[in-house]
Amino acid sequence: MNALILDGALPGDVATPAIAQHLQQALTVAGWNAGIVALREQKIAYCLGCFDCWTKSPGLCKIDDDGRTVTAAMLASDLVVYLTPLTFGGYSSELKKAVDRSICLVSPFFTRIAGEVHHKARYDRYPAILGVGVAAAPNAAQAAIFARLIERNALNLHAPAHAAVIVHDGDPATTTAAALAQALAHMNIDRKVMA
Amino acid sequence: MSTIERAVLLIGSAKRSGESTSEALGSYLMTKLNSHGVGASAFAVHRALRTPDRTAALLDAVAGCDLLVLAFPLYVDTLPRLATQMLELIAARRRPVQRARTPWFLAIANCGFPEAEHNDVALAICEQFAAEAGMRWAGGLAVGAGGAIHGDAVHERGMTHNVARALDLTAAALAADQPAPPQAVTLMRTPMMPAKLYTFMGNLGWHRMAQVNGVWRRLGDRPFSTSDLKIERG
Repeated sequence: MNALILDGALPGDVATPAIAQHLQQALTVAGWNAGIVALREQKIAYCLGCFDCWTKSPGLCKIDDDGRTVTAAMLASDLVVYLTPLTFGGYSSELKKAVDRSICLVSPFFTRIAGEVHHKARYDRYPAILGVGVAAAPNAAQAAIFARLIERNALNLHAPAHAAVIVHDGDPATTTAAALAQALAHMNIDRKVMA
Repeated sequence: MSTIERAVLLIGSAKRSGESTSEALGSYLMTKLNSHGVGASAFAVHRALRTPDRTAALLDAVAGCDLLVLAFPLYVDTLPRLATQMLELIAARRRPVQRARTPWFLAIANCGFPEAEHNDVALAICEQFAAEAGMRWAGGLAVGAGGAIHGDAVHERGMTHNVARALDLTAAALAADQPAPPQAVTLMRTPMMPAKLYTFMGNLGWHRMAQVNGVWRRLGDRPFSTSDLKIERG
């Protein structure tokens, strides 16, 4: 199975890329084909909010840059890891530039899910989402926001499974691997992505 | 006389002026603050981030204000990239600064879903930003069905009357050095129209736009479904 780690480190951040390496190693050991995309090195323009990817070139952003490649890679994966320095409890701007451009993966049309209005799926299958927030120190409020954000993204992007974990600057590889194993077990991902 | 003197509005939408719901909501609030004697200035974040000089001018304005307002559209459940980037820059700059008076931070979020609750995670992130940037949290105002405004001015009558009332109350409170009152928060969340009507009109609108663009039959296209898609994995 394929996993894609979206590394949302800002320029100058050394902790988050190190954790990306730890995650890749742990996923590989667990039998995944895991790749890392360092988003800070990708040319991804900001989403214009123009909706052309819904009503002019359905399913495709009009901006022809790395955003298209990353979006395609997300869809082609069984698991996408949103790796980010925890930024006020949410995503860094580097991760968000890729996430914003993934809106073309869903349909503009509305449907109801769990009593709320959301967008319909465009494709038959979507990747599971694992959020990994990197924090300098424990912060319960930020961790709660992050978990909720991953849950909301999973709902809106039709992910078959999701989980959110917080790791800390300087955590050894074994700690990251343990957090990953726990999250994957929680997601019961093997069964869900194969369904 | 107002107890706050300078307010800065950041418009977090990438849309052109006149087409942005965030701009419409933020501008209405600024006009009302102005009528209370508060000096107001506005910046479109996407323009301010284009050059270092413009970014510096925005950061200087923020550093000198008593009230910072961020009006933004919800993108994939949270703030858009540009608004996030701007908050990162402001927080990085503000942390070491000590000021005589702690500025307020107010967030106004609008989403394209009829339920205002979709904005809640984004507003929680804004509240965290306020804490980390050393600002006083003035509250989060959430609007659902933002597409119904679509850059049109907010009016005291008609569909946006609750929005206008909420912003009126918020402006009066902020001008008196108080956070947005609970009544304003509740009024802002009051649906502008029934959800079924909004989604019906919205779905119709997508069909019409696609028809105008000549792609109505391709609305369900799946461009990333091709079996020969090659993704390089680093």
